[in-house]
Amino acid sequence: MNKLTTFLTAATLVAAPALAQDDAWETQGLSDGAITIGVMGPFSGNASSYSKALIGMMAYYDKVNEEGGVHGRKLVAVQEDTACDSAKGLAAAKKLISQDEVFMLQGNSCSGVALALRPTIEEAGLPWIVAHAVSDSISDPLAGNIFHGVPTGSANGHAMAAFVLSKPDTKNVAIIEHSNDWAHSYSNPARDYLREQGVEPTAELTMERGQTDATAQVLKLRQNKPDFIIAALYEAETAIFLRDLKKYGMGDIPVMGTAGTDLENTLKRTGDFETVQNYYVIHSYVDNLDGEKMKPWADMIHGYYPDEELSTFSFVSIGSAEALVSALEAVGPDLTRSKLIAALEEVRDFDTGILSDPITWTPEDHQGVKGSAVAGFVDGEPTVLKAWGQPY
Amino acid sequence: MLMQLTLGGFAQGAIYALIALSLTVVYRSTTVVNFGHGDFVMAGAFLSYVLVVLAGIAFLPAAVLAMIAMFVLGVFFSKGLIRPIRGGPHIGLALMCISAGYILRGIARMVWGREVLPMPPVFDIEPIFLGNLVVTGDAVFIIGTVFVLLVVFFGLLGLTDLGKMVQAVYQSPRGARLIGLNVERFNDFSWGVGAALGALGGILVAPISLLHPDLGASFLIKGFAAMTLGGFGSLGGAVLGGILLGLAEQYAGAYIDSALIEITAYVFIVLVLFIRPHGLFGRKAVVKV
Repeated sequence: MNKLTTFLTAATLVAAPALAQDDAWETQGLSDGAITIGVMGPFSGNASSYSKALIGMMAYYDKVNEEGGVHGRKLVAVQEDTACDSAKGLAAAKKLISQDEVFMLQGNSCSGVALALRPTIEEAGLPWIVAHAVSDSISDPLAGNIFHGVPTGSANGHAMAAFVLSKPDTKNVAIIEHSNDWAHSYSNPARDYLREQGVEPTAELTMERGQTDATAQVLKLRQNKPDFIIAALYEAETAIFLRDLKKYGMGDIPVMGTAGTDLENTLKRTGDFETVQNYYVIHSYVDNLDGEKMKPWADMIHGYYPDEELSTFSFVSIGSAEALVSALEAVGPDLTRSKLIAALEEVRDFDTGILSDPITWTPEDHQGVKGSAVAGFVDGEPTVLKAWGQPY
Repeated sequence: MLMQLTLGGFAQGAIYALIALSLTVVYRSTTVVNFGHGDFVMAGAFLSYVLVVLAGIAFLPAAVLAMIAMFVLGVFFSKGLIRPIRGGPHIGLALMCISAGYILRGIARMVWGREVLPMPPVFDIEPIFLGNLVVTGDAVFIIGTVFVLLVVFFGLLGLTDLGKMVQAVYQSPRGARLIGLNVERFNDFSWGVGAALGALGGILVAPISLLHPDLGASFLIKGFAAMTLGGFGSLGGAVLGGILLGLAEQYAGAYIDSALIEITAYVFIVLVLFIRPHGLFGRKAVVKV
């Protein structure tokens, strides 16, 4: 008995610091009045325009704080610049985790940076909600602490193909894309969905970045006579491709684009409505950017950032911020990192009121948004659509 | 389809020809390969954008003004940055060109960021359908403009006293100096003409493409490929090389694989350097011992 008591006492003495350390880790970045959240984004450099994607989330934090916070705690953002560069992003993540000792992370544009951060953040174990970057590989395979709060590339690719096939009598589908990971993250899931539905793409073409002419591609398509074209192209190449389609008398063929473009800017770039009238894009929101359902969110952003020029990106992170606050409320005042992760995994069909599809996180699947709406011109007006001819 | 591809190839090739010619004009007189030339092309396109969109000037006078401005820039670049290091190692000249190009690109990025800017359509005429062949306004305008410019350029070079002086400097700068020609001023003039011709390439591509600060990079490679194919230093070869490259891109993209469009220029460079290093019209280097 004495030996057993001695053993248990020794074991307790050895384990005590480790247990205390675990407790400290669980509540790192928390105080009675604040939850510190590391927000990484490209605030400088060539891709700094993507930092707009974090504005909506920051405005939502401000709104929550103005209303008293979550169980009396304010959401305090600690911003770090990744400059859309993996090395800088890694340094930013390490600083937030080790030096600033934030409670959790939320944000991140630039899939390449987010992918580079994944091993470090997975090992650190603090909750991380990805609020903009779309690459599936950030959250798949599953990492216990990493959650995706926007539609991933595969969700968008699936939505693109589903919309294409929702047009009656669509049998002949062509795909044109860049030969990079970004384009494949849309086109491969689209291909898979088409094949599942028994449709084999009849033409698969490449148009590289920087090309100023799409004559060869368009002429191949003219021979192929597709019912619908899926275009995984960046903004400039999309405009050039659409212009050339119209130029060679094929402007009546509908084209489905990615979330990397939007209707308004594509119209501005082509400078001609006829060129874009049959162009459709992934649109993750419940309404047009200037629609009634988006107005409260626009007002919220302008309330805290009056000079913000609103674009598609400005709203993208709001949905995941809402889901976070909902999970924090569910945990209650006795907050820990593990409890937050458990609460996030309980989020089911969470209607954000801004994203077109709800957020669901389960212990087996942390890619929360499984679909997306589509925007296209209907009677000359940008319109959000559920399927071909069906307004959202 | 062959006719359509040929027309598209000629239009695209005409722009490559212009850029290769502008590179060759500088190379022939100064033996400097302007590695920053793509950004001169970009600068020409942006200047025309500023004049057309922001200043409200019509496209044709704006194009002429942009070319004049780029000519002046080319002359100042030669006088201010190339001449002082002319006697130094060739790598220094190459680095100076690259640096100047990056400065131009940096200025464009500072002003316009990463925005992709549209130029208002200037060839806005309805395409003509001849059976399956679609003749577009932009193809006609580009081919026509480059053709007229080449006729004037080669006419001046071959038929006038000015052209004879230019050829004299090309053949022997020392000899030209001995007969009283100001070779330094001629070199400045060549940089100006090179910059203006390159700018015209950018100006022609602007309305059919979109403007962004990195626009020039791919055109530089196309220019090099056309130059290599035509033969380094051959003015006519540069033009022919540009046209052949434009055609090859279209044929390869349509008949083999669209992914080949992007690499055609590199394939040309590799093949020509292996099979006929002096290109179609270049002269074999002869070393007297």
